[in-house]
Amino acid sequence: MIELKNVSAIYEGEKIPSIKNINLTVARGEFVTIVGPNGAGKTTLLETINGLLESEGKISVLGMDLRKNGSQIRKRIGYVPQEFTCNSLTPFLVKDVILMGRFGKIGLLKSPSATDYQVVHHTMEFLSVVSLQNNPVGKLSGGQLQKVMIARALAKEPDILLLDEPFSNLDLKARSDISLKISSLHARGLTVIMVIHDRSSIPETCRRIITIENGEITSDKKLEVT
Amino acid sequence: MLERLIILAVTGAVLTGISCSLVGSFVVRMNLSSLGFCMSHAAFAGAALGLVLSVNPLIMSIVFSTGVAIVLGPLAEKAKLPTNVILGIIFSLMISLGLIFLNLTPQTAMSSVALSILWGSILGMTVQNVLFLLGLTCGTILIFFLFFKEFQSIMFSRMLAEASGISTKPFYYLMLFLTGVTVAFSLKLVGGLLVFALMVNPASSAYQFSYDMKRITILAPLIGVICCVAGIGVSFVLDLPVGSSIAVISSVVFGLSVLVSPKRKRG
Repeated sequence: MIELKNVSAIYEGEKIPSIKNINLTVARGEFVTIVGPNGAGKTTLLETINGLLESEGKISVLGMDLRKNGSQIRKRIGYVPQEFTCNSLTPFLVKDVILMGRFGKIGLLKSPSATDYQVVHHTMEFLSVVSLQNNPVGKLSGGQLQKVMIARALAKEPDILLLDEPFSNLDLKARSDISLKISSLHARGLTVIMVIHDRSSIPETCRRIITIENGEITSDKKLEVT
Repeated sequence: MLERLIILAVTGAVLTGISCSLVGSFVVRMNLSSLGFCMSHAAFAGAALGLVLSVNPLIMSIVFSTGVAIVLGPLAEKAKLPTNVILGIIFSLMISLGLIFLNLTPQTAMSSVALSILWGSILGMTVQNVLFLLGLTCGTILIFFLFFKEFQSIMFSRMLAEASGISTKPFYYLMLFLTGVTVAFSLKLVGGLLVFALMVNPASSAYQFSYDMKRITILAPLIGVICCVAGIGVSFVLDLPVGSSIAVISSVVFGLSVLVSPKRKRG
């Protein structure tokens, strides 16, 4: 489903690649957690898989060449960035921000249909953010905003879910709640790749842990089902 | 005759109010307010070059402004700098080029022809000008209507829009180009001051009243039209310049909007 061969990515103006010679294959329906210290290249790897960052090497996602079909692929990937923020006057409502997650999928010159609104509503119910739907997105707490960003990614009904530090702004209860929800989505067949720095937050259903250090994969462990 | 002039002036101002305020909702949200005066001075440089080359100054001013609108996005992308920084650089380049071109013009009286591009003349509006503005306004509304969801997504976060599968580059460039064209085409008719005021003030006022982008894009042109009509009324009653009156009214409306904005109320 996701295949990276000798992939390196270097930010403009930098001399050392943020990730180098990454070889990685993720099968459909896998739940992978990427761990490593700050600056190890975890976020870079997620952005590379999503095609948001230019890279060298061969990347194939959902059977398509990422460089040739970047937009097509991104329409099928749900992406939750690390610590997204917006100021208190940001002129967007929660329900609109979540709906925007589907805009790429809806396509050009088409308006959101009744089905699109229905999917958005179900996603809001799933993540318990229905009561926030008419709130301005800039007025949310860090934890609420994090849930909304996850809802936005899920509203797309993605084939792959990329999560960058999804628990960073959540309290313990919300963390466990979201962790269970991600696990339930994975149980229904969703491929999940999650970046995390705190190993204690890795959901129990995760069966593969990849460690990145200095831009290289230093360990790739598949856990046995107990 | 006077009645006809007034009708044309009001219609022209209203149409400019709609198109400028509409693109203004994008300009304000994306922090591109210097786009207005950058384009005005590109038009000034173009007009000055037109005088040097004995080519119609209006055509050259439109060529320069649209040229800037075309290169702006790719240049900002290539330089990896905020578009506002590139606007500052282009602004200084354009004003310098304008002065150099004027220096090359033998008759100094011609300077006023080039400078008139910056001031415009709303009372000199012809039927042809109004039809031209009507086309521009309808085109702007149509583009907004067709690509509203893409523009809305980019206005929230360009990175997230890209991640959701929208190719943001063409839409961002389209928006910059549309703004540039709106400025270039409205400039000679209503003047740089009014274009700039109508691009920033009504949209900034609309942002004070709503968190809903759809409402803001409807409210901004509405406020723009009200400012234009009120400004023209004030200018006739108090015998003041029309453009300046509209600019003052739109600034007052912005000030009042900030004061009564529900966004700042507690509880």
